[in-house]
Amino acid sequence: MKNLLAFIARYFHWLLLLMLEIISGVLLFQYNSYQSSVWFSTASAAAGKVYEWDANVRSFFSLKRANEELTLRNFYMERQLAQLRRLYGDLTQDTTSLVRQELELLNRFKLVPAKVVSNTLDKADNFITIDKGSDDGVEKDMGVACGNGVVGVVYLTSSHYAVVIPVLNVTSSRISCAIRGRGYFGYLQWYGGDPTVAYVEDVPRHARFKKGDWVETSGYSSIFPQGVLVGKIEKIFNSADGLSYRLKVRLSTDFGCLRDVYVISDHSVSEQLQLLKAVQDSITMAPKQ
Amino acid sequence: MLIDTLTRLLTFIALLLAQVLVFNHIHLFGCATILLYVYLVVMFPRNYPRWAILLWSFAMGLSVDVFSNTPGMAAASLTLVGFIQPYLLELFIPREAPENMRSAMATLGVTKFLLLATILVFVNCLLFFSIEAFTLFHWQQWLLNIGGSTLLTLTLLMAIEKVRK
Repeated sequence: MKNLLAFIARYFHWLLLLMLEIISGVLLFQYNSYQSSVWFSTASAAAGKVYEWDANVRSFFSLKRANEELTLRNFYMERQLAQLRRLYGDLTQDTTSLVRQELELLNRFKLVPAKVVSNTLDKADNFITIDKGSDDGVEKDMGVACGNGVVGVVYLTSSHYAVVIPVLNVTSSRISCAIRGRGYFGYLQWYGGDPTVAYVEDVPRHARFKKGDWVETSGYSSIFPQGVLVGKIEKIFNSADGLSYRLKVRLSTDFGCLRDVYVISDHSVSEQLQLLKAVQDSITMAPKQ
Repeated sequence: MLIDTLTRLLTFIALLLAQVLVFNHIHLFGCATILLYVYLVVMFPRNYPRWAILLWSFAMGLSVDVFSNTPGMAAASLTLVGFIQPYLLELFIPREAPENMRSAMATLGVTKFLLLATILVFVNCLLFFSIEAFTLFHWQQWLLNIGGSTLLTLTLLMAIEKVRK
Protein backbone atom coordinates (compact mmCIF):
# COMPACT_ATOMS: atom_id res chain seq x y z
CA MET A 1 0.00 0.00 0.00
CA LYS A 2 2.80 2.36 0.96
CA ASN A 3 4.61 1.43 -2.25
CA LEU A 4 1.50 2.21 -4.28
CA LEU A 5 1.16 5.67 -2.65
CA ALA A 6 4.87 6.31 -3.17
CA PHE A 7 4.51 5.34 -6.84
CA ILE A 8 1.53 7.65 -7.30
CA ALA A 9 3.33 10.51 -5.53
CA ARG A 10 6.40 10.09 -7.72
CA TYR A 11 4.62 9.84 -11.06
CA PHE A 12 1.69 12.10 -10.18
CA HIS A 13 2.26 14.39 -13.15
CA TRP A 14 2.00 11.43 -15.58
CA LEU A 15 -1.36 10.49 -14.12
CA LEU A 16 -2.50 14.12 -14.22
CA LEU A 17 -1.42 14.36 -17.87
CA LEU A 18 -3.40 11.22 -18.69
CA MET A 19 -6.48 12.53 -16.89
CA LEU A 20 -6.37 15.95 -18.61
CA GLU A 21 -5.81 14.39 -22.05
CA ILE A 22 -8.80 12.10 -21.49
CA ILE A 23 -10.95 15.09 -20.58
CA SER A 24 -9.81 16.90 -23.77
CA GLY A 25 -10.54 13.79 -25.82
CA VAL A 26 -14.02 13.47 -24.35
CA LEU A 27 -14.70 17.13 -25.24
CA LEU A 28 -13.38 16.58 -28.74
CA PHE A 29 -15.44 13.53 -29.59
CA GLN A 30 -18.62 14.46 -27.78
CA TYR A 31 -19.09 17.89 -29.27
CA ASN A 32 -22.15 16.84 -31.20
CA SER A 33 -24.05 16.00 -28.04
CA TYR A 34 -26.68 18.72 -27.74
CA GLN A 35 -26.74 19.89 -24.11
CA SER A 36 -23.09 19.63 -23.17
CA SER A 37 -21.90 21.44 -26.28
CA VAL A 38 -24.02 24.52 -25.54
CA TRP A 39 -21.98 24.94 -22.36
CA PHE A 40 -18.65 24.89 -24.11
CA SER A 41 -19.47 26.60 -27.36
CA THR A 42 -19.48 30.33 -27.91
CA ALA A 43 -23.20 30.36 -27.11
CA SER A 44 -22.13 30.40 -23.46
CA ALA A 45 -22.90 33.73 -21.82
CA ALA A 46 -19.38 34.84 -20.92
CA ALA A 47 -17.85 34.25 -24.33
CA GLY A 48 -20.89 35.78 -26.00
CA LYS A 49 -20.68 38.94 -23.91
CA VAL A 50 -16.99 39.53 -24.64
CA TYR A 51 -17.59 39.04 -28.38
CA GLU A 52 -20.58 41.37 -28.24
CA TRP A 53 -18.47 44.19 -26.76
CA ASP A 54 -15.77 43.56 -29.31
CA ALA A 55 -18.27 43.52 -32.19
CA ASN A 56 -19.84 46.77 -30.97
CA VAL A 57 -16.48 48.52 -31.03
CA ARG A 58 -15.63 47.13 -34.48
CA SER A 59 -19.00 47.89 -36.07
CA PHE A 60 -18.73 51.48 -34.93
CA PHE A 61 -15.84 51.96 -37.33
CA SER A 62 -17.76 50.70 -40.35
CA LEU A 63 -20.97 52.64 -39.73
CA LYS A 64 -20.28 55.33 -42.31
CA ARG A 65 -19.80 52.88 -45.18
CA ALA A 66 -22.82 50.79 -44.11
CA ASN A 67 -24.96 53.93 -44.03
CA GLU A 68 -23.95 54.97 -47.53
CA GLU A 69 -24.61 51.52 -48.94
CA LEU A 70 -28.03 51.32 -47.32
CA THR A 71 -29.09 54.76 -48.53
CA LEU A 72 -28.14 53.92 -52.10
CA ARG A 73 -29.97 50.59 -52.04
CA ASN A 74 -33.03 52.20 -50.45
CA PHE A 75 -33.18 54.84 -53.15
CA TYR A 76 -32.82 52.28 -55.96
CA MET A 77 -35.44 49.95 -54.49
CA GLU A 78 -37.97 52.72 -53.89
CA ARG A 79 -37.67 53.83 -57.50
CA GLN A 80 -38.09 50.26 -58.73
CA LEU A 81 -41.08 49.70 -56.46
CA ALA A 82 -42.82 52.85 -57.66
CA GLN A 83 -42.27 51.83 -61.28
CA LEU A 84 -43.57 48.28 -60.71
CA ARG A 85 -46.63 49.55 -58.88
CA ARG A 86 -47.45 51.85 -61.73
CA LEU A 87 -47.05 49.05 -64.28
CA TYR A 88 -49.19 46.65 -62.29
CA GLY A 89 -51.86 49.27 -61.81
CA ASP A 90 -51.90 49.95 -65.55
CA LEU A 91 -52.22 46.25 -66.37
CA THR A 92 -54.89 45.25 -63.90
CA GLN A 93 -56.67 48.54 -63.32
CA ASP A 94 -56.38 47.74 -59.60
CA THR A 95 -53.89 49.71 -57.49
CA THR A 96 -54.77 48.54 -53.98
CA SER A 97 -54.53 44.71 -54.37
CA LEU A 98 -50.71 44.78 -54.65
CA VAL A 99 -50.37 46.47 -51.24
CA ARG A 100 -52.73 43.89 -49.72
CA GLN A 101 -50.64 41.02 -51.20
CA GLU A 102 -47.37 42.51 -49.90
CA LEU A 103 -48.80 42.84 -46.40
CA GLU A 104 -50.10 39.26 -46.52
CA LEU A 105 -46.63 37.96 -47.50
CA LEU A 106 -44.94 39.88 -44.69
CA ASN A 107 -47.52 38.64 -42.17
CA ARG A 108 -46.57 35.07 -42.91
CA PHE A 109 -42.89 35.60 -42.02
CA LYS A 110 -41.72 37.18 -38.83
CA LEU A 111 -38.16 38.59 -39.13
CA VAL A 112 -35.93 38.83 -36.07
CA PRO A 113 -33.03 41.23 -36.76
CA ALA A 114 -29.72 40.24 -35.18
CA LYS A 115 -26.06 41.19 -35.21
CA VAL A 116 -23.18 38.82 -35.83
CA VAL A 117 -20.84 38.71 -32.83
CA SER A 118 -18.46 35.97 -33.95
CA ASN A 119 -17.57 34.61 -37.40
CA THR A 120 -14.88 32.39 -38.97
CA LEU A 121 -14.00 31.82 -42.62
CA ASP A 122 -10.85 29.72 -42.59
CA LYS A 123 -11.93 26.34 -41.19
CA ALA A 124 -13.64 23.42 -42.90
CA ASP A 125 -16.60 23.76 -40.55
CA ASN A 126 -17.28 27.41 -39.84
CA PHE A 127 -19.86 28.75 -37.37
CA ILE A 128 -21.47 32.15 -36.84
CA THR A 129 -22.75 33.41 -33.46
CA ILE A 130 -25.58 35.97 -33.35
CA ASP A 131 -26.81 38.02 -30.41
CA LYS A 132 -30.44 36.79 -30.36
CA GLY A 133 -31.57 33.61 -28.60
CA SER A 134 -34.62 31.65 -27.50
CA ASP A 135 -35.86 34.61 -25.42
CA ASP A 136 -36.17 36.62 -28.67
CA GLY A 137 -38.04 33.90 -30.52
CA VAL A 138 -35.12 32.23 -32.30
CA GLU A 139 -35.33 28.42 -32.43
CA LYS A 140 -33.30 25.56 -33.93
CA ASP A 141 -33.66 25.05 -37.71
CA MET A 142 -34.77 28.60 -38.51
CA GLY A 143 -33.27 30.17 -41.63
CA VAL A 144 -30.91 33.17 -41.39
CA ALA A 145 -30.40 35.66 -44.24
CA CYS A 146 -28.89 39.11 -44.76
CA GLY A 147 -29.58 42.00 -47.14
CA ASN A 148 -27.36 40.44 -49.81
CA GLY A 149 -28.55 36.85 -49.64
CA VAL A 150 -28.75 33.63 -47.70
CA VAL A 151 -26.51 33.10 -44.63
CA GLY A 152 -27.38 29.74 -43.00
CA VAL A 153 -29.52 27.76 -40.56
CA VAL A 154 -29.74 28.08 -36.76
CA TYR A 155 -28.11 25.08 -35.07
CA LEU A 156 -28.11 25.77 -31.31
CA THR A 157 -29.73 28.40 -29.11
CA SER A 158 -29.26 29.53 -25.54
CA SER A 159 -31.42 32.24 -23.98
CA HIS A 160 -29.61 35.22 -25.51
CA TYR A 161 -27.34 33.85 -28.23
CA ALA A 162 -27.54 31.38 -31.08
CA VAL A 163 -25.00 29.51 -33.21
CA VAL A 164 -25.72 29.42 -36.96
CA ILE A 165 -24.33 26.91 -39.49
CA PRO A 166 -23.50 29.11 -42.50
CA VAL A 167 -23.23 28.04 -46.14
CA LEU A 168 -19.44 27.84 -45.51
CA ASN A 169 -19.67 24.57 -43.60
CA VAL A 170 -18.46 21.43 -45.35
CA THR A 171 -20.21 18.73 -43.30
CA SER A 172 -23.55 20.27 -42.38
CA SER A 173 -24.71 22.83 -44.91
CA ARG A 174 -27.22 21.76 -47.60
CA ILE A 175 -29.60 24.44 -48.81
CA SER A 176 -32.17 23.66 -51.50
CA CYS A 177 -31.91 26.23 -54.28
CA ALA A 178 -33.43 26.82 -57.70
CA ILE A 179 -32.39 28.75 -60.81
CA ARG A 180 -34.42 31.98 -61.00
CA GLY A 181 -36.98 31.98 -63.77
CA ARG A 182 -36.31 28.35 -64.80
CA GLY A 183 -37.41 26.45 -61.72
CA TYR A 184 -34.83 23.63 -61.88
CA PHE A 185 -33.46 22.93 -58.41
CA GLY A 186 -30.50 21.27 -56.69
CA TYR A 187 -28.78 21.59 -53.34
CA LEU A 188 -25.95 23.97 -52.38
CA GLN A 189 -22.69 22.58 -51.01
CA TRP A 190 -19.38 24.20 -50.04
CA TYR A 191 -16.08 22.30 -50.27
CA GLY A 192 -13.67 24.61 -48.42
CA GLY A 193 -11.14 27.07 -49.82
CA ASP A 194 -12.60 30.21 -51.44
CA PRO A 195 -15.36 31.64 -49.20
CA THR A 196 -17.12 33.29 -52.15
CA VAL A 197 -17.63 30.13 -54.23
CA ALA A 198 -20.02 27.21 -53.64
CA TYR A 199 -21.47 24.45 -55.84
CA VAL A 200 -25.06 23.48 -56.66
CA GLU A 201 -25.26 19.71 -57.05
CA ASP A 202 -27.76 17.36 -58.72
CA VAL A 203 -29.21 19.74 -61.29
CA PRO A 204 -30.99 17.46 -63.83
CA ARG A 205 -29.42 17.07 -67.27
CA HIS A 206 -32.55 18.12 -69.12
CA ALA A 207 -32.51 21.52 -67.36
CA ARG A 208 -32.08 24.59 -69.58
CA PHE A 209 -30.14 27.55 -68.16
CA LYS A 210 -27.01 29.57 -68.93
CA LYS A 211 -23.96 31.12 -67.24
CA GLY A 212 -24.86 34.35 -65.44
CA ASP A 213 -28.31 33.17 -64.30
CA TRP A 214 -29.18 33.98 -60.70
CA VAL A 215 -29.68 31.19 -58.14
CA GLU A 216 -32.14 31.67 -55.26
CA THR A 217 -33.73 29.45 -52.57
CA SER A 218 -36.40 27.15 -53.97
CA GLY A 219 -38.95 27.34 -51.16
CA TYR A 220 -39.10 23.53 -51.05
CA SER A 221 -37.98 23.44 -47.42
CA SER A 222 -39.64 24.94 -44.37
CA ILE A 223 -36.46 26.84 -43.57
CA PHE A 224 -36.29 29.51 -46.29
CA PRO A 225 -39.11 31.14 -48.24
CA GLN A 226 -38.80 31.12 -51.99
CA GLY A 227 -36.69 33.85 -53.55
CA VAL A 228 -33.88 34.51 -51.06
CA LEU A 229 -30.81 35.22 -53.21
CA VAL A 230 -27.91 32.74 -53.19
CA GLY A 231 -25.58 33.78 -56.02
CA LYS A 232 -24.75 33.85 -59.73
CA ILE A 233 -23.79 30.87 -61.92
CA GLU A 234 -20.16 31.19 -62.97
CA LYS A 235 -19.29 27.84 -64.55
CA ILE A 236 -21.04 24.58 -65.39
CA PHE A 237 -19.46 21.16 -64.79
CA ASN A 238 -20.62 17.58 -65.10
CA SER A 239 -21.18 15.74 -61.82
CA ALA A 240 -18.79 12.94 -60.82
CA ASP A 241 -21.09 10.19 -62.11
CA GLY A 242 -22.11 12.15 -65.24
CA LEU A 243 -25.80 11.88 -64.43
CA SER A 244 -26.40 15.54 -63.52
CA TYR A 245 -24.89 19.01 -63.69
CA ARG A 246 -22.76 20.71 -61.06
CA LEU A 247 -22.87 24.53 -61.07
CA LYS A 248 -20.10 26.74 -59.71
CA VAL A 249 -21.89 29.66 -58.03
CA ARG A 250 -20.36 32.97 -56.92
CA LEU A 251 -22.12 33.66 -53.59
CA SER A 252 -23.88 37.03 -53.28
CA THR A 253 -23.42 37.19 -49.49
CA ASP A 254 -20.06 38.61 -48.36
CA PHE A 255 -19.26 36.37 -45.36
CA GLY A 256 -16.11 38.36 -44.67
CA CYS A 257 -17.93 41.50 -43.47
CA LEU A 258 -21.22 40.11 -42.16
CA ARG A 259 -22.75 42.33 -39.51
CA ASP A 260 -26.56 42.70 -39.80
CA VAL A 261 -28.62 39.55 -40.41
CA TYR A 262 -32.20 38.50 -39.79
CA VAL A 263 -33.73 35.22 -38.64
CA ILE A 264 -36.81 34.04 -40.56
CA SER A 265 -39.51 32.46 -38.43
CA ASP A 266 -42.46 31.06 -40.33
CA HIS A 267 -45.73 30.65 -38.41
CA SER A 268 -47.30 28.43 -41.04
CA VAL A 269 -44.60 25.74 -40.80
CA SER A 270 -45.86 24.28 -37.51
CA GLU A 271 -49.38 24.25 -38.92
CA GLN A 272 -48.13 22.39 -42.03
CA LEU A 273 -46.27 19.85 -39.91
CA GLN A 274 -49.32 19.27 -37.67
CA LEU A 275 -51.54 18.74 -40.70
CA LEU A 276 -49.08 16.25 -42.20
CA LYS A 277 -48.87 14.32 -38.93
CA ALA A 278 -52.68 14.21 -38.65
CA VAL A 279 -52.91 12.77 -42.16
CA GLN A 280 -50.27 10.12 -41.43
CA ASP A 281 -52.00 9.16 -38.17
CA SER A 282 -55.39 8.86 -39.82
CA ILE A 283 -53.99 6.64 -42.60
CA THR A 284 -52.30 4.22 -40.16
CA MET A 285 -55.33 4.06 -37.87
CA ALA A 286 -58.00 3.68 -40.57
CA PRO A 287 -59.70 0.22 -40.52
CA LYS A 288 -58.37 -2.14 -43.20
CA GLN A 289 -60.81 -2.84 -46.04
CA MET B 1 4.41 32.89 -4.24
CA LEU B 2 1.08 34.71 -4.36
CA ILE B 3 2.63 37.56 -6.35
CA ASP B 4 4.01 35.03 -8.82
CA THR B 5 0.61 33.38 -9.25
CA LEU B 6 -1.11 36.75 -9.73
CA THR B 7 1.47 37.84 -12.33
CA ARG B 8 1.00 34.55 -14.14
CA LEU B 9 -2.79 35.02 -14.02
CA LEU B 10 -2.45 38.48 -15.55
CA THR B 11 -0.25 37.08 -18.34
CA PHE B 12 -2.84 34.31 -18.85
CA ILE B 13 -5.67 36.83 -19.30
CA ALA B 14 -3.62 39.12 -21.53
CA LEU B 15 -2.57 36.23 -23.83
CA LEU B 16 -6.13 34.86 -23.90
CA LEU B 17 -7.70 38.19 -24.89
CA ALA B 18 -5.01 38.90 -27.49
CA GLN B 19 -5.52 35.44 -28.98
CA VAL B 20 -9.32 35.44 -29.23
CA LEU B 21 -9.86 39.10 -30.15
CA VAL B 22 -6.91 39.72 -32.48
CA PHE B 23 -4.87 36.66 -33.49
CA ASN B 24 -7.79 34.35 -34.26
CA HIS B 25 -8.67 36.60 -37.21
CA ILE B 26 -5.18 36.75 -38.74
CA HIS B 27 -4.54 34.19 -41.50
CA LEU B 28 -1.62 34.86 -43.84
CA PHE B 29 -1.34 33.21 -47.27
CA GLY B 30 -4.29 30.96 -46.44
CA CYS B 31 -2.28 28.82 -44.05
CA ALA B 32 -0.45 30.62 -41.24
CA THR B 33 -2.32 31.40 -38.01
CA ILE B 34 -0.79 32.82 -34.83
CA LEU B 35 -1.07 30.55 -31.78
CA LEU B 36 0.68 32.81 -29.28
CA TYR B 37 -0.80 31.23 -26.13
CA VAL B 38 2.16 28.79 -26.08
CA TYR B 39 4.09 31.72 -24.66
CA LEU B 40 2.54 31.01 -21.25
CA VAL B 41 4.12 27.53 -21.26
CA VAL B 42 7.50 28.76 -22.56
CA MET B 43 7.71 31.16 -19.61
CA PHE B 44 7.50 28.60 -16.76
CA PRO B 45 10.67 28.75 -14.58
CA ARG B 46 12.84 25.79 -13.64
CA ASN B 47 11.47 23.51 -10.90
CA TYR B 48 7.95 24.96 -11.06
CA PRO B 49 5.72 22.06 -9.81
CA ARG B 50 4.86 19.78 -12.75
CA TRP B 51 1.21 19.33 -11.80
CA ALA B 52 0.79 23.14 -11.68
CA ILE B 53 2.29 23.52 -15.18
CA LEU B 54 -0.18 20.91 -16.47
CA LEU B 55 -3.15 22.66 -14.86
CA TRP B 56 -2.15 26.10 -16.19
CA SER B 57 -1.68 24.70 -19.73
CA PHE B 58 -4.98 22.84 -19.62
CA ALA B 59 -6.83 25.96 -18.38
CA MET B 60 -5.28 28.13 -21.12
CA GLY B 61 -6.06 25.59 -23.83
CA LEU B 62 -9.63 25.14 -22.62
CA SER B 63 -10.27 28.91 -22.46
CA VAL B 64 -9.02 29.39 -26.02
CA ASP B 65 -11.25 26.48 -27.10
CA VAL B 66 -14.35 28.00 -25.51
CA PHE B 67 -13.85 31.20 -27.50
CA SER B 68 -12.84 29.55 -30.79
CA ASN B 69 -15.49 26.81 -31.07
CA THR B 70 -12.72 24.17 -31.24
CA PRO B 71 -13.68 21.86 -28.34
CA GLY B 72 -10.72 20.05 -26.79
CA MET B 73 -8.19 20.78 -29.58
CA ALA B 74 -6.11 23.51 -27.95
CA ALA B 75 -6.55 21.88 -24.51
CA ALA B 76 -5.13 18.56 -25.70
CA SER B 77 -2.16 20.03 -27.59
CA LEU B 78 -1.21 22.62 -24.97
CA THR B 79 -1.36 20.12 -22.08
CA LEU B 80 1.13 17.89 -23.87
CA VAL B 81 3.41 20.87 -24.56
CA GLY B 82 3.15 21.77 -20.86
CA PHE B 83 4.21 18.22 -20.03
CA ILE B 84 7.42 18.31 -22.09
CA GLN B 85 8.42 21.90 -21.19
CA PRO B 86 10.25 21.09 -17.88
CA TYR B 87 12.23 18.25 -19.52
CA LEU B 88 13.28 20.51 -22.40
CA LEU B 89 14.18 23.43 -20.13
CA GLU B 90 16.42 21.13 -18.08
CA LEU B 91 18.36 20.30 -21.27
CA PHE B 92 19.03 23.96 -22.07
CA ILE B 93 19.85 25.26 -18.58
CA PRO B 94 23.58 25.89 -17.93
CA ARG B 95 25.07 23.67 -15.22
CA GLU B 96 25.67 26.26 -12.48
CA ALA B 97 22.21 27.80 -12.68
CA PRO B 98 20.11 28.86 -9.63
CA GLU B 99 17.27 26.61 -8.51
CA ASN B 100 14.35 28.75 -9.68
CA MET B 101 15.92 30.23 -12.78
CA ARG B 102 13.34 31.80 -15.08
CA SER B 103 13.05 30.90 -18.74
CA ALA B 104 13.82 34.03 -20.76
CA MET B 105 16.17 35.27 -23.51
CA ALA B 106 18.06 37.33 -20.90
CA THR B 107 18.94 34.29 -18.76
CA LEU B 108 19.37 31.52 -21.36
CA GLY B 109 20.95 33.42 -24.20
CA VAL B 110 19.46 34.02 -27.65
CA THR B 111 20.28 30.70 -29.39
CA LYS B 112 19.23 28.44 -26.50
CA PHE B 113 15.97 30.31 -25.94
CA LEU B 114 15.28 30.33 -29.68
CA LEU B 115 15.75 26.57 -29.82
CA LEU B 116 13.54 25.98 -26.78
CA ALA B 117 10.79 28.24 -28.15
CA THR B 118 11.00 26.66 -31.64
CA ILE B 119 10.54 23.15 -30.29
CA LEU B 120 7.63 24.08 -28.04
CA VAL B 121 5.85 26.17 -30.72
CA PHE B 122 6.42 23.45 -33.34
CA VAL B 123 5.04 20.66 -31.14
CA ASN B 124 1.97 22.76 -30.30
CA CYS B 125 1.25 23.62 -33.95
CA LEU B 126 1.88 20.00 -35.02
CA LEU B 127 -0.55 18.59 -32.45
CA PHE B 128 -3.17 21.30 -33.00
CA PHE B 129 -3.33 20.94 -36.78
CA SER B 130 -3.16 17.14 -36.62
CA ILE B 131 -6.18 17.02 -34.32
CA GLU B 132 -7.93 19.55 -36.56
CA ALA B 133 -7.17 17.51 -39.70
CA PHE B 134 -9.41 14.72 -38.42
CA THR B 135 -11.80 16.47 -40.83
CA LEU B 136 -11.46 16.51 -44.63
CA PHE B 137 -8.22 18.47 -45.15
CA HIS B 138 -5.48 17.54 -47.66
CA TRP B 139 -2.06 16.63 -46.30
CA GLN B 140 -0.29 19.40 -48.26
CA GLN B 141 -2.53 21.98 -46.57
CA TRP B 142 -1.80 20.29 -43.21
CA LEU B 143 1.98 20.64 -43.68
CA LEU B 144 1.63 24.24 -44.88
CA ASN B 145 -0.47 25.04 -41.82
CA ILE B 146 2.10 23.62 -39.41
CA GLY B 147 5.09 25.25 -41.13
CA GLY B 148 3.50 28.66 -41.66
CA SER B 149 1.98 28.90 -38.18
CA THR B 150 5.22 27.83 -36.48
CA LEU B 151 7.23 30.48 -38.31
CA LEU B 152 4.71 33.24 -37.72
CA THR B 153 4.13 32.46 -34.03
CA LEU B 154 7.86 32.11 -33.43
CA THR B 155 8.60 35.48 -35.07
CA LEU B 156 6.03 37.23 -32.89
CA LEU B 157 7.20 35.40 -29.76
CA MET B 158 10.86 36.36 -30.28
CA ALA B 159 9.85 39.96 -30.98
CA ILE B 160 7.93 40.16 -27.68
CA GLU B 161 10.76 38.41 -25.84
CA LYS B 162 13.26 41.01 -27.06
CA VAL B 163 11.14 43.73 -25.47
CA ARG B 164 10.82 41.88 -22.15
CA LYS B 165 13.68 42.84 -19.80
